[in-house]
Amino acid sequence: MTYSEALLGAIVEAMDEDERVALVWGSLGGVSGIKLDFGSLRDRHADRIVDPPISEAGIVGIATGAAMAGLRPIVPIGTGSFLFRAWDQLIHEAGGAHYMSNGRVTAPLVIHIRHGMRGGGGVQHSQSPQAMLWNAPGIEIAMPSTPADAKGLMRTAIFSDNPTVFLDHQMLLRREGPVPDGKHAVPFGKAAVARPGRDVTVVAASLQVVAALAAAATLAADGIEAEVIDLRSLVPLDQEAILNSVGRTGRLVVADECAPRCSIASEIAATVAEKGFDLLKKAPVRVNRLPSHVASSPVLEDALRPDAGRIAAAVRGLMD
Amino acid sequence: MAGAGGPARLLELFGTMLATRRFEEVVYALFAEGHFSGHYHLYIGQEATGAAVIGHLSGRDTIFSTHRNHGHLLARGGDPAAALAEILGRAGGIGGGRLGTFHLADPAIGMPHTSALVGGAVPLAAGSAFGAKLLKTGGVSVGFFGDGAFEEGVVFETLNLAQLWRIPVLFVCENNTPGALTRAEGGSNTSYLPGGRVSPVPEALGIPTHVVDGADLEAVDALAADALARVRRDGGPVFVEALTIRWPGNQSQYPTMATGETDLAMAWDAGRIGNEHRGWFAADDPVLRAARRLLELGAADAAALQAMDAQVRARMAAARETALASPLPDPATALDHVLAGAAR
Repeated sequence: MTYSEALLGAIVEAMDEDERVALVWGSLGGVSGIKLDFGSLRDRHADRIVDPPISEAGIVGIATGAAMAGLRPIVPIGTGSFLFRAWDQLIHEAGGAHYMSNGRVTAPLVIHIRHGMRGGGGVQHSQSPQAMLWNAPGIEIAMPSTPADAKGLMRTAIFSDNPTVFLDHQMLLRREGPVPDGKHAVPFGKAAVARPGRDVTVVAASLQVVAALAAAATLAADGIEAEVIDLRSLVPLDQEAILNSVGRTGRLVVADECAPRCSIASEIAATVAEKGFDLLKKAPVRVNRLPSHVASSPVLEDALRPDAGRIAAAVRGLMD
Repeated sequence: MAGAGGPARLLELFGTMLATRRFEEVVYALFAEGHFSGHYHLYIGQEATGAAVIGHLSGRDTIFSTHRNHGHLLARGGDPAAALAEILGRAGGIGGGRLGTFHLADPAIGMPHTSALVGGAVPLAAGSAFGAKLLKTGGVSVGFFGDGAFEEGVVFETLNLAQLWRIPVLFVCENNTPGALTRAEGGSNTSYLPGGRVSPVPEALGIPTHVVDGADLEAVDALAADALARVRRDGGPVFVEALTIRWPGNQSQYPTMATGETDLAMAWDAGRIGNEHRGWFAADDPVLRAARRLLELGAADAAALQAMDAQVRARMAAARETALASPLPDPATALDHVLAGAAR
């Protein structure tokens, strides 16, 4: 089953099961050319599916108010870059709702975006807003890498009482993998060991897990065993899994498509430096998108990308 | 225009207005005495709008407000002592000190969340109504906002969406006179809307739109009854622009008590009105206007209004003491309620 089909499966199940779940129509398949069968879903739940105009702020604000009223809206924003247009509503209204009520109001909406460098997206269609989001309190962040986790994390997101931003990487939508039948839930805050290894820990999420696994396969040919940790969610973060792995390997590489300043990699590296300094044999290494906008030309885009080659090179640099 | 419920109802709504006025005077005094810091906004001059509109809501309905929210909270039935304690940042405040003056709200009274960002709560009000529609609760929502909200794009988005998705929401723009600060006073032109009126925008979207004198309690009461009935009947948005004259003490940040503590006797004894702010006292102050109307209708005499005022003042004085006696929050709780569910 593809990642997209698994994701849709979780939404269909939740809508069939719980009449509080609503879908603000969007393009889950996006520009990937993937055609998902939403037809029967719309037939069954026409009253809970609405078609949005190009009004990200208004839609996220309305979904937030609806969530406060007890609905569980799923809001596909499409390309992750567009989320910035709803930033105020997400950060201040949805993200602040629980705190601002002293714990009495919840805003259980799911905002779904496709982030990342997708080939020709250029400056305004390639954003990875997860690091900026991570700096905002009150928002859960899920970033699956496999079809099974796409399904399981989406179910958790829908039934979470917090606002959740659910990030798919555009280049994961066609990824194939086994998916459990039925109501499959993957809890937030539980990282997965995507590949075990003894020599170095590579922490990643979303598409970077795929890159890290490719790097690990290359490294294995040279006798270097990399352990790949798939975070699956940033909020909550499974610090324990990271520190346990680094405790075994003594080396840390973090692969991250955000630009390096205040990135996912920065936060993970800082966390390990603070809480696991004695576990480290070498200083942690961050493998980020280079500190630039994302260029449109494929050659320039590739030059910026944190890929398997750069991850493998970072690992080798730690093995001296 | 006849009120929706006759003189008795007007007297009741006047009680809400007067409570709000005396509450705001206490807030001003607490600030002047140094009991809280940070800028703040008072609802003085707009009491008729909030009291009359909210007076038509039921427990299923929700309201959403702005930085100028105190009057909405009180009209919705909020506890003045818990509200004052909240403004003072005390543990006994509605939000345990997390909200302050900017975000007064109380989900227990159908006021889930208040945004201090201009226009920020307008989509939330529509969203709450959208949720109520899909969940079939029968509830509607009212979104209160100022004319300045029309300088924000999300407000247009929300009006358009409310029509597209047929959302049962009443938008209430409390237009307290745009561009009222001259350049010399530190202001500048902020809008090209003709005549400073916002109503052409919802009209252009085909939303039923009404303009009303927001300081006329009877007029707002009657219009709100009709508008909310229409929202409930048609299941779509209605827009009300309530015009008020800006209270002379209303500044962009720190209010001044330009018109002093309200002398209710000005309602029946014009000789008490001096030259300074004469227009405000004689014609614009909604509290004095409502008092005069109640006297005209014979709903109350001056002595009854004074007795009511004495009761309201005593209630607010007690609320003030309760708030001041409330302890400060425990700093160890600062991280509570960032996320729902288990602490993370």
